[in-house]
Amino acid sequence: MPTMTYLQAITDGLRSEMRADERVFCMGEDIGVFGGAFKVTDGFIDEFGPDRVMDTPLAESGIVGTAVGAAVVGMRPVCEMQFSDFISCGFDQLVNVAGKMHYRQGLAVPITVRLPTGGGFSGGPFHSQNPEAWFMQSPGIKIVAPATAEDAKGLLISAIRDPNPVLFCEHKFLYRRVKGEVEEGANATPMRARIARDGDTLVVITYGAMVHTALEATAELEGVRVLDLRSLVPLDEEAILESVRACSKVVIVDEANELCAAGAQVAALVAERGFEDLDGPVVRVATPNVPIPFSPPLEQAVLPSVDRVKEACVELVEY
Amino acid sequence: MSSSSTDATLVDVVMPQMGVSVAEGTVAEWAKEPGDWVDADETICVISTDKIDTDLPAPASGRLTEIEIVAGETVPVGTVLARIDTGGKPGEAHAAEDVGPPEPRSEAAAAAKASVQPEEKASGVRPQASGNGQGAKRFSPVVMRMAAEHDIDLSAIEGTGRGGRVTKKDVVAYLDEGGEAAAPLHIESPYRAEPEPPDARRLTPDAPEPPAPEAPSTLSRMRRSIGQHMKRSLETAATCTTWTEADMFRIEAARERLSLTALPLVARCAIAALREHPQLNAWLEGERYTRHDAVHLGIAVSLGDEGLIVPVIHDAHELSAEGLARRIKDLARRARAGELTPDEVRGGTFTITNPGQHGSIMATPVINQPQVAILDLEAVVKRPVVIDDAIAIRPMTIFGLSWDHRALDGVLAAQFLASLRRHVESWDGT
Amino acid sequence: MATETARSGETEHLIRDDRVALLRYMLLMRGIEERAMMLYRQGKVPGSFYDGFGQEAVSAGAAFAMGPKDRLCVLHRDLAAHLVRGVTPARIFGQYMGRAGGVTAGRDGNVHFGDWRLGCVGMVSMLPDMMLVATGMAMAFKLRHEQRCALTWFGDGSTSRGDFHEAMNWAGVQKLPVVFVLENNQFAYSTPLEAQFAVDPVHRAEGYGFPGWSVDGNDVEAVFEATREARERALVGEGPTLIACETMRMHGHAAHDDMKYVDKTRLEEWRRKDPIERQERVLEGLGVDVAAVREGVAREIEAGVEEALAMPMPDPETATEGVFCEGEANVLGDGQAPWSEVQS
Repeated sequence: MPTMTYLQAITDGLRSEMRADERVFCMGEDIGVFGGAFKVTDGFIDEFGPDRVMDTPLAESGIVGTAVGAAVVGMRPVCEMQFSDFISCGFDQLVNVAGKMHYRQGLAVPITVRLPTGGGFSGGPFHSQNPEAWFMQSPGIKIVAPATAEDAKGLLISAIRDPNPVLFCEHKFLYRRVKGEVEEGANATPMRARIARDGDTLVVITYGAMVHTALEATAELEGVRVLDLRSLVPLDEEAILESVRACSKVVIVDEANELCAAGAQVAALVAERGFEDLDGPVVRVATPNVPIPFSPPLEQAVLPSVDRVKEACVELVEY
Repeated sequence: MSSSSTDATLVDVVMPQMGVSVAEGTVAEWAKEPGDWVDADETICVISTDKIDTDLPAPASGRLTEIEIVAGETVPVGTVLARIDTGGKPGEAHAAEDVGPPEPRSEAAAAAKASVQPEEKASGVRPQASGNGQGAKRFSPVVMRMAAEHDIDLSAIEGTGRGGRVTKKDVVAYLDEGGEAAAPLHIESPYRAEPEPPDARRLTPDAPEPPAPEAPSTLSRMRRSIGQHMKRSLETAATCTTWTEADMFRIEAARERLSLTALPLVARCAIAALREHPQLNAWLEGERYTRHDAVHLGIAVSLGDEGLIVPVIHDAHELSAEGLARRIKDLARRARAGELTPDEVRGGTFTITNPGQHGSIMATPVINQPQVAILDLEAVVKRPVVIDDAIAIRPMTIFGLSWDHRALDGVLAAQFLASLRRHVESWDGT
Repeated sequence: MATETARSGETEHLIRDDRVALLRYMLLMRGIEERAMMLYRQGKVPGSFYDGFGQEAVSAGAAFAMGPKDRLCVLHRDLAAHLVRGVTPARIFGQYMGRAGGVTAGRDGNVHFGDWRLGCVGMVSMLPDMMLVATGMAMAFKLRHEQRCALTWFGDGSTSRGDFHEAMNWAGVQKLPVVFVLENNQFAYSTPLEAQFAVDPVHRAEGYGFPGWSVDGNDVEAVFEATREARERALVGEGPTLIACETMRMHGHAAHDDMKYVDKTRLEEWRRKDPIERQERVLEGLGVDVAAVREGVAREIEAGVEEALAMPMPDPETATEGVFCEGEANVLGDGQAPWSEVQS
């Protein structure tokens, strides 16, 4: 099995689907000739041509809206927002046109929107956001967020094959920092959680880059489980509740701003349906409700650090 | 992302981050050698990443003292590539290296060390309970649930959580150490509830006794009833008791695996033995002897000082050990809560009594009439035993069977016990 | 690519039956809307009610020029387009009344519908979002080298929003086979044109690289002809066209709007240009029994109302179903195409 970076795995998955299904095509800013701001589609235009690796005008609403149009006449567009932050410019098309179409009109909208998310490298307020929660609230949109190279490939393939709008949250910090073994061939990862490390003393529930933070923070603590959600919509409620049953102590980590982040929904679920399995309060570690600052000491102070996660776990274990 | 140490004259030259996703870079070539003077912003080396090649400008003016990373090496972003001594002047022979201990490499690290942790403490975990400690102790939902399921008295458990809190771990440990899943079963003979004959009531003194601190008290109705039943049994039955030893090795292993106590497992074996020796699964009422096919198993349950009661698992022969365990748990709980229905204390064909966790090893139980036999389970104790002419340590127990000599002989009793022992020692889960 | 002005009503692409059909569709649209307004006032139509009274030619004429494989994004004053594509009056009444047999089975209201089996995409309220969807459909046609076009309607007010510009720019730079039909009915709710833009949007097409044509929006055959030409352009790879249809919204923005802000004289002027009356006169001149057409339409409408009134309301248990597609994604189907030149 080849080893590759998280970014290479995305490229691999995308290429694999484009080769297998001629309906699949990519669209985004600077993805064709330039190969993409992060080089995900480097070389694609040579293999697939400019029609299937489309350099679009600078128009996020246009990208999402035209993708919807292409999808309802039988294509499988994989659009890219150059940074997840810019999805706000395409919010209306995503939430009101794509998200609601099947419920209202019975018409499927099989689009994939790749969102390079997350911070940790002085990207500043407009290049570091985790906008997942904005869309968890919008019915009709699925959201996946891989933490490993293997899942980066597998979840992208699942997203492309899904007949619904799917947001693929690829974490920029993980692009080249995470490597892993990735199976050859086109294997779709189910949109369910996975146990990153097993244990029964306490469970840390999280996703994306925070999975690695959680693993590092709890490496020396005995019996701490880390549950990698991998999918926010659909949310793997069964896996969450099973972990609560097994561990009875829960720490939820969000890199997104705390208020109404994905973790808030997990906490509500646990409080309501996992109540009788709890041996302590449901604890959250999240970025405070501030725009992500640019200067390193400021940014490091707000993003959940290894130390902050560890401290929360230690306290809860001792409770 | 070059940084400066505020006190020392040495300035680090670090591998910069050329792009948000870049994690490493390669030193392509050095433009200066150790000892060379370098001006701030002058190109000190060329670095290459998979995105771009770039000249690295010196972060300060001074003398290049040491090169840490040679050309061609690839290192993570933030690695110190070289150091510049800013203390000297151009033209001076370069000073000695290593002035003082290295400061934190990046301002970020320094700031992170010194920074106050953000307002958002991870914990809302300060237990309120420590405030209202007097009197009512607080238990978490999972602890409450487990206590209800296993019928545990939580005040008996030592808490190791914060402020002496009983944690899930504490409960699990308590159960593992064989606080029996059910509370203690009784020691004495069984009791069978039956409606009191009307005249018996008149025999009870009605007049209230004048209260006096040392005045003798009257036995409770339940206590008197049990007493009558016991006396009648001993007076009418020809009660004998036979014992056998048994190796509980397999039962102990099954206990752990299935998270059960020994009682349901042994009950299962007893039922199997009864099927082989149905003469013990019978009633003797006066001269009338009725052998039963179905096994309606009575399990003696202690009600503490108040007395005891024997709820019956009807058609126990149809249940597995797990099924028996569930029924026993449920009946015991409801017995103590006074919720048993009349049908549930009637019709037993055989009784098991199990007071063993207090350490006693043998007893002479009284037969629960009109049944003809009763089985007693006592403590399981590790003993040295001889196996294949060698000494082994085994968990051993003594099964006691009291039986009515009017209905059967000692040989049959011994055979039953032998069968029971065989089933117990060959337990394989069925 | 200078702006071309009004097309003449003369066309050799319509046979007599086509011209009667155009009237019929306009009559159906108006008749359904008038009947539905009564139902609305009777409390049988929940929510709000929108109609395209006086604008029937814009949707009837443009939709009539489409082939079965073309795809449409239909807006709220374009009911005739749905009728041309094959949606029955009964399903439209059912849709207004929120019945299970309505086109969206109660999921969305009034004219927020599109029968995907007939190649129509249902609109959203954020206008002109659908311009981008139509652009996207055209983009797919071009990528696949297919001879078909996409068409969408949108109003004067919506040209102020970003999606109008993104769609026009995108269609222009990629030279896509899309027809943009601007329904300029003089008002966006209560906002008149002079508060909406400084430049007539028809001139904007040039700014995005393709022609913009002004058309008399109350002349159904002129609208047809302009659309037919625009479609031809699209099919031979000449890219998009903006057709600006000049018309008037004769009723309020919705049933709850009494349009006090519209000058009465102006309304009277436009009433005299009523598109249905004009087409009736044209057909009378050709010896068509217009009264019979009217009667036929009236019967059809009444039958539709009866059928719709018998439809049950949707089962509340189904309210949370259908958010996601489970299984294979469906794709827009072909619509009815009654125009003699493209009949399937």
